[in-house]
Amino acid sequence: MIDFLKRFSRNRGALFGMIILIVVILLAVFAPLIYPESPWKMVQRPFLPPFSTEGLPLGTDTLGRDVAAGLVHGARVSLIVGLVSTLVALLIGVPLGAFAGFYGGLVDDGAMRFTEFFQTIPNFALAIVLVAIMEPTLPTITLAIAIVSWPPVARLVRAEVLSLRKREFVDAARLAGLSNLRILFGHVLPNAMSPIIVMASLMVATAILLESSLSFLGLGDPNIMSWGYMIGAARTVIRTAWWLSFIPGVAILLTVLSLNLIGEGLNDALNPRLARKGR
Amino acid sequence: MTLAAAILGRLAKAAITLLLIVILNFFLIHAAPGDPAMVMAGEAGAADEQFIQQLREQFGLDQPLYVQFWNYVSGVLQLDLGYSYRQQMPVLELILDRLPATLLLTLTAFCMSLLLGIAFGLAAAARQGKMGDSAITSMALLFYATPLFWVALMAVVLFSVKLGWFPAFGYETVGAGYTGLDLVLDRLKHLFLPALTLGLFFMAVYLRMTRSSVLEVSQMDFVKTARAKGLGEGTIRRRHILRNALLPVVTLAGLQAGQLVGGAVLTETVFAWPGIGRLMFESLTARDYNTLLGVFLVSAAMVIAFNIITDIVYRLIDPRI
Amino acid sequence: MKKLLTASVLSLGLAMPAAAQQAGGRLDIVVQPEPPSLMLGLVQNGPTQLVAGDIYESLLRYDTDLEPQPSLAKSWEASDDGLTYTFTLHDGVTWHDGEPFTAEDVVFSVDTFLRETHPRLRVSLEHVESVTAPDDTTVVFKLKNPFGPFMGIFEVGTMPIVPKHIYEGTDFANNPANNTPIGTGPFKFEEWEKGSYIHLVKNEDYYLEDKPYLDEVYYRVIPDAASRAVAFENGEVDVLPGGSIENWDVKRLTEMEDVCSTGKGWEYFAPHAMAWMNNREGPTSDKLFRKAVMYAMDREFVKDVIWNGFGTVATSPVSSKTNFYTDDTIMYDHNPDKAKELLEEMGYDGETVRILPLPYGETWQRWAEAMKQNLEEVGINVEMVATDVAGWNQKQAEWDFDIAFTYLYQYGDPALGVARSYLSSNIAKGSPWNNVAGYENPEIDAMFEEAAVAASAEERQEIYTEIQKTLVDDVPVAWLLEIEFPTIYRCNVKNLVTTAIGVNDGTRDVWIEQ
Repeated sequence: MIDFLKRFSRNRGALFGMIILIVVILLAVFAPLIYPESPWKMVQRPFLPPFSTEGLPLGTDTLGRDVAAGLVHGARVSLIVGLVSTLVALLIGVPLGAFAGFYGGLVDDGAMRFTEFFQTIPNFALAIVLVAIMEPTLPTITLAIAIVSWPPVARLVRAEVLSLRKREFVDAARLAGLSNLRILFGHVLPNAMSPIIVMASLMVATAILLESSLSFLGLGDPNIMSWGYMIGAARTVIRTAWWLSFIPGVAILLTVLSLNLIGEGLNDALNPRLARKGR
Repeated sequence: MTLAAAILGRLAKAAITLLLIVILNFFLIHAAPGDPAMVMAGEAGAADEQFIQQLREQFGLDQPLYVQFWNYVSGVLQLDLGYSYRQQMPVLELILDRLPATLLLTLTAFCMSLLLGIAFGLAAAARQGKMGDSAITSMALLFYATPLFWVALMAVVLFSVKLGWFPAFGYETVGAGYTGLDLVLDRLKHLFLPALTLGLFFMAVYLRMTRSSVLEVSQMDFVKTARAKGLGEGTIRRRHILRNALLPVVTLAGLQAGQLVGGAVLTETVFAWPGIGRLMFESLTARDYNTLLGVFLVSAAMVIAFNIITDIVYRLIDPRI
Repeated sequence: MKKLLTASVLSLGLAMPAAAQQAGGRLDIVVQPEPPSLMLGLVQNGPTQLVAGDIYESLLRYDTDLEPQPSLAKSWEASDDGLTYTFTLHDGVTWHDGEPFTAEDVVFSVDTFLRETHPRLRVSLEHVESVTAPDDTTVVFKLKNPFGPFMGIFEVGTMPIVPKHIYEGTDFANNPANNTPIGTGPFKFEEWEKGSYIHLVKNEDYYLEDKPYLDEVYYRVIPDAASRAVAFENGEVDVLPGGSIENWDVKRLTEMEDVCSTGKGWEYFAPHAMAWMNNREGPTSDKLFRKAVMYAMDREFVKDVIWNGFGTVATSPVSSKTNFYTDDTIMYDHNPDKAKELLEEMGYDGETVRILPLPYGETWQRWAEAMKQNLEEVGINVEMVATDVAGWNQKQAEWDFDIAFTYLYQYGDPALGVARSYLSSNIAKGSPWNNVAGYENPEIDAMFEEAAVAASAEERQEIYTEIQKTLVDDVPVAWLLEIEFPTIYRCNVKNLVTTAIGVNDGTRDVWIEQ
């Protein structure tokens, strides 16, 4: 563990990412304390530029709402959607991939056909259709994102399990009389954790991008102020108030960037053999 | 297993997959609230029972779902993708009409991202650990993390509005009647911004993959052997490292190529590009079932086709298989 | 004795500008969204009318005071008892395919074609006993009873004249000619590049000798509001019809050099923004709650901030631009305290109320958000529903809403555009355009019926005043704003908006100053 932390912190990019992510998380957690009023409240004249008015560091938007408040509350949405949809995707993909890789044969065939099937439908298009059917609310959007995100997880887990099941410790466990399920979930999967964790961090990033894309197109939950929503709402005034689109975009960029950096750091830290090769 | 048998097997599986996609999408799309008759009646600003009923009959929506389903599937099997009442033309024709625009955009973005990605990736690997490497990888990370639609908007603001270098949207200058070289230039001007924004993300992907692949292969034993044999650096790079390092990149590229048709919804919407992506979004809004299904079908077919092609290419390239 | 209602040459004279018109040139107008079809007899939505208004014509046009002007009919007379109307048509009118236009085409269009395809005209036709063509250039309408709004239904979107020789005896909806529409109008259909543009060219054989002035018109399809604004700025398009761009861009564009704008051209439609309130169930079924909603809203704020000052706060179901409007009703000002009082009186229990916004752009989305804020400030719990066009239509048709945004056209007369929203006979699932709120008041039903067929304008005004007073007191829907959609154009485009439907039939008289 100490080794891992040491390796992780040696990666400057990962540290940088960690710091940013912590800031975002703190903002999200303490949002109701920092900005107790609803971000939807119309507080001042619209289109006030950033740094021009006391108490409104980032100005106001098209209806006179506080941009900073929207930004902070939006952090919660992005993080929640990112985390929950990734968790759900993992819940679907990991068992599926694990069973496919471990049992092989028909199970593998069936699972892989199923996965391939999902991968042939254009990702974003499917997400849009799902959201249109289920009517956009936070839960449905999260579900839709999870549904289009699980296939890569399943493939990864399958590949890992496939290579792991040939190892000696599996034979040993079998000889010891452990059931297949116990072997799979108790011994094989834990060894496959590293790539799954790395992938998970990237998935959170992708989920945040997906959510913001959906909100941008107007398919978000209208009761929730998310970063994607803010960019979409500001799109029509981009000529007169370009900062309204710019600022939330930077927020998304930084958050996704930090997640990617962390993912890379995790990858390097958890795969020391590759790290030693001087990557 | 021989190549031919493998291909045939894959084709058979592909056919089944496509059929399943048709079935799934049919019921999925009909599950969305509202129907095209409702949408058209709504837009008319005035409607009564009779009007909506007429529309429903015209669109074939008054029949029970399984009958509609059967009609659709049997049509598809004969390559008849149905009729778009919204656009007043057969779906197949509509799609073939809009397909070139999307292909132009995505192919350009694809080639650009592949070439630039590999080039930069090689450059980064060559300067590993130095300033150049950091700069390039940072740039890649930036493009990877940026929301596509935001980049598109900012690009429009900067290049089109403020600088006026490129048109902000559209496929061509309408009604200008350009021909020959003028036409080509006009198209290129309109193509630049959308292809750039679409390509940036994938450029970052290929860049990073190339870089890490090259670095990994460079450490491998056979390269050390080649060096020990006294082969020149250039030869080593070309013949040994590059060929092996590019394998995973090619695989990824092949898989991405399948997204050529379905992957440009956002870009097409922001840039008002008259392609399949926009068609898909518009037909979803209008509940134009047939068109929507048709787009899904064509996209899925492309993905499957490219998966098979990638497999074949891989078999041909990879000496181990 | 017949009362003569010939068109006054005066109005014709007013329409002509002082400078001499120059022939030639091309006009690029934005159309949004892309029309599903150009066959105006079958499809009557906004974009179709914008384009098809150049291809088809009706018997009359209307100036900005809603006074009838000649179109295909060059003069007309009404009998003293108001039951017989005789229209004399122009000579020498031909269809775009060369066939001669006659009164038979009018009879066919009204009695056969539109009766089958046009829901709005169908309602008016119920008052018509017969339509006949005694000769090639005369059409006679006989009514069953006096019908005040009758002279107002000869607008090209309400009654487009279609060619009998192409449509008679065919399946109208599937007639192949629908893709290459044939009309009598000043412009002919040339080409439609889907997703990109519709190209119309000058009708060389148009029956008005020197018109149209333009050589061709391109209707440009640009799906993104921001892109449309950019297109105008770059000089790619010359005209932005009302509603093409978001209101925030209007100010910026109109301040550009050589750019003009006008709020005229909407007098006939008089778009009236309102919010249905479900009279059947939920808190909105209580009159006190609805009144509270009216007092809670800050409609002036919406007008100033969201509509950039364009428009007028609506005080009645009838628009101030429509005939028979009265301001002698209760006025609901922005009074949150009064709203809170009413909510207490009614015993509002905090039940969540859903708002269904209009899915047609950012302006409406902001509006719904503003309303949500206003309502929450007086203690109403509000949830916003996300929807797209199809879902919005569906929810209203199925009565699955509490408060739903909409806007309706008034068509110049309360009998044509207003009554339909409040008649109990118009309560039916399946359409978003009838009495969606579910308001039932037999007195109002009777009054509307009476007013439609009352013999004199004074009588009609009396009844409509009574109707408005009652409706405003019952407040079955929340009347929001009389919308003004400014049309933006380059100043060298002359005569663009001269009628009550503006750009929808305007290009006939347009000329470009070089």
